[in-house]
Amino acid sequence: MREHVSGQYDAELDELRAMVTEMGGLVERQLSAVCEGLATWNADPAEPVIALDKAVNRLEVRIDDACTHIIAKRQPTASDLRLVMSIVKAITDLERIGDETTRIAKMLETLCALPPLRDPLPELTEMMTRVQSMLADALNAFVRVDEARALDVITRDRSVDRAYQALVERLLGEMEAHPAQLRSYHNVIWCARSFERIGDHAKNVGEYIIYLARGQDVRHQGLGAPSDR
Amino acid sequence: MSRPVGWRSGDGALWLSTGAVALTLLMTLALLGLLAQAGFGHFWPKALATVTFPERQGTPPVLAELREQSAFANAEGELEPRWLLRTGNRDWAAPDFRWVPVQGLGTVHFDPHAVELERRSWGPALGLLAPPGVPQAERQGAAEAALTALEAALRVPPGEREGALTLFAADGQRQALPYRQIVRYWLPNAMGWNAKLGVYFARLGAFLHEPPREANTEGGIFPALFGTVLMVMLMTVIVTPIGVIAAVYLHEYAPQGMLTQTLRVAVNNLAGVPSIVYGVFGLGFFVYGVGHRMDQALFADALPAPTFGTPGLLWASLTLALLTLPVMIVATEEGLSRVPRQLREASLALGATRLETLRKIILPSALPAVLTGVILAVARGAGEVAPLMLVGVVKLAPELPLDGTFPYLHLERQFMHLGFHIYDLAFQSPNVEAARPLVYTSALLLVIMIVLLNLGAVVLRAHLRGRHRDPLG
Amino acid sequence: MRNEPPTLHFEPADRCLTVDRLSVRYQGKAALRDVSLTVPRHRVTAFIGPSGCGKSTLLRSFNRMNDLIRGVEVTGRIQLFEDDILAPELDVTALRRRVGMVFQQPNPFPMSVFDNVAYGLRLQGLREQRALEGEVEWALRSAALWDEVKDRLDASALTLSGGQQQRLVIARAIAVRPEVLLLDEPASALDPISTLKIEELIGKLAEQYSIVVVTHNMQQAARVSHYTAFLYLGELVEFSGTDDLFTRPQARQTEDYITGRYG
Repeated sequence: MREHVSGQYDAELDELRAMVTEMGGLVERQLSAVCEGLATWNADPAEPVIALDKAVNRLEVRIDDACTHIIAKRQPTASDLRLVMSIVKAITDLERIGDETTRIAKMLETLCALPPLRDPLPELTEMMTRVQSMLADALNAFVRVDEARALDVITRDRSVDRAYQALVERLLGEMEAHPAQLRSYHNVIWCARSFERIGDHAKNVGEYIIYLARGQDVRHQGLGAPSDR
Repeated sequence: MSRPVGWRSGDGALWLSTGAVALTLLMTLALLGLLAQAGFGHFWPKALATVTFPERQGTPPVLAELREQSAFANAEGELEPRWLLRTGNRDWAAPDFRWVPVQGLGTVHFDPHAVELERRSWGPALGLLAPPGVPQAERQGAAEAALTALEAALRVPPGEREGALTLFAADGQRQALPYRQIVRYWLPNAMGWNAKLGVYFARLGAFLHEPPREANTEGGIFPALFGTVLMVMLMTVIVTPIGVIAAVYLHEYAPQGMLTQTLRVAVNNLAGVPSIVYGVFGLGFFVYGVGHRMDQALFADALPAPTFGTPGLLWASLTLALLTLPVMIVATEEGLSRVPRQLREASLALGATRLETLRKIILPSALPAVLTGVILAVARGAGEVAPLMLVGVVKLAPELPLDGTFPYLHLERQFMHLGFHIYDLAFQSPNVEAARPLVYTSALLLVIMIVLLNLGAVVLRAHLRGRHRDPLG
Repeated sequence: MRNEPPTLHFEPADRCLTVDRLSVRYQGKAALRDVSLTVPRHRVTAFIGPSGCGKSTLLRSFNRMNDLIRGVEVTGRIQLFEDDILAPELDVTALRRRVGMVFQQPNPFPMSVFDNVAYGLRLQGLREQRALEGEVEWALRSAALWDEVKDRLDASALTLSGGQQQRLVIARAIAVRPEVLLLDEPASALDPISTLKIEELIGKLAEQYSIVVVTHNMQQAARVSHYTAFLYLGELVEFSGTDDLFTRPQARQTEDYITGRYG
């Protein structure tokens, strides 16, 4: 994309993008930490994740401010307007992802105080992998305004949902079979619920990228064929 | 950073331009001052001195105004001061002006019974109302009696006056001066300030509204004043519409190309043509060309005596109109180009035709500039003399060009002009010393008249401008 | 060969000015090339684009103001409703009464407020004072100026403020009840508050007039217009609904221009 006549404006937009990338990186670190904790049944990553959430929240406020200033001072139009609007929306979703990881981290602390689970949960592992890659791809797609990858992220949310459904089914069975571990399974369901939500948020970010790229709002409707322009 | 010094500081340029303005102002003031001092002073009653010449046996004392002092080279080649004495009485004691070496002067004495008289012919008469060399009481009585008789005589119209005033020269010689010759008198040595002011304004008034006498050295300049004003007005009436129409064509209608530009240059160059050339052209083209044909066509029965085929007011006005046309065109075009394009466009966009736009918007907006043109044209036209000598101005016109007989305005008549009058007084007068103050006075009047004409146009222009002035600028 | 620019099509009843393959050349230099678009009726249409893009030339074609310029060549077709306004035999003064114009600089005539507004009416032969007064009041009210000047109708129009002068000029233009109102940078010489008043007025006038506004202020075009055309180097690049043009322009040049990447 060509540069603006105003270099200052370019700098402001670049800084905005950098902050979003930083926020995305923080959230990604939170997510991978809790995934690792769950996979290894280890509560150590919980504390730094909770601590990181403060930083994520602060970044959200800063990015919000920066967007407000750009709108007030630059009256962005077209792609610039869409960029700012997508960022305003995307950071809400990123912040929510941070909140969900914090919730998982707290759950992880209780969970690790309980005895470990009897059987491995492949669906949970699958969910964690998929959600992590979705978030990573969504953030990548955002940085590159990659419409195809964003579309891919959106479609992949289905499989996360399916894995979540399957996991819930399996956990209900396990709960019946092993009532002694009811507490653990209940907590795992909550974690799975959070991962599913993280998937939804990542999908939202994907939708904003489509809007950013095409100027077309794909929320709550069919995706349609990507523009061949 | 140190302040730049010397020429680069810009102070030099400031001083230079200020100096130029100061010089201009000084020269203008000097001109007006000289004219005012020499011109206005002429009518002031001046003291009459009885001068004796003790060194020259047989030279009688004279009564004279001590006009001015200068130096002359005497027989030995040395510079010696001398006085110019105005003695008047050209008819019986010529010359009326004489230079006297200061060394030869004896006593100077101001006789309260000295009288100066303005006469219908032969210039002023100076004399004493009472014989010199008799007891004071007796003189007083004689003077009073003479004055009473004089006043009584002046109350009667000049034609019906009988008798004569007896004037005594400084040496006691008598001279009878018929009452019918006397216009006014004053006793300069016995008058107070108020009386002198009265005489002053009476003489000034007469100067302004009386015709000249005595080869223009006496009397007034009214015909010249009137002729000048009338000619300038006629010229303005002719040059304004022609100039405006020409400027409108050049600026509004003509295609802006080489030809128009050439025309413009030609018009500008016309402004630089010496005015006498216009006079020659006016004589050849207007008088002998147009005027002659007009005579053949319209006044054939009066031929061979020419009516319009001779210099006259119309031709003078036309010649001056031609002379001032470039000024008028340039000023008007300047004004037209200052009418904002947006105003024209606004008018045209409202569905006005070009003529409507011109009439309702452009010309009213350019009117102040047109008036500037008129001012410049009047200033130029009123001051011109040379071309007028060829096309209508005369030294002495028997009749005014405007009078009560049909058709009231006599365009074919020759007329008098202040500028030419000055030239005539200064160079053609038989009596240089007598004419000199009048030269100054007439010149001053010419300047005042031009200033007044301009002032009128300036006031009119300011009024037109002020009507729709943007208060913010 | 150039692709057809994105444009809009209107029902015949909604077409006010129909421009078909219009090209304008000034002394051989092309100012407009092959422009085709339709200005809809009773809507505000904005022309935007960088200086020299031809937007003013296009606007001035609508009331033949380009005729005043020497060496202008116009080809193509412009229809005002049914009438071909480029026809050589057309009475240009009659056209200009149907197509009013307001210029960039407030240009009231150096006469009274009343005479300014009455100027066009008098040109049309309206002489009767009572009728003139009624029309002048109507026009001043329509231009949202009546309350400010009703006590000084006889004062010189040059005593009004810049914003008032521009509304006076609008009143002068609508006094003759034109069908189309052309606004050439109507607020570029005004302060922000006066600008907002003019914009507000444009919105109101759109109920009765078809308005075309040329502006280099993109935000203004975005605020006041229903449709926006972007011109660049004498060509129409894009013509679409203002909302669309300012959020998702179709053409890259439009995008660059409205986001401030024109350089």
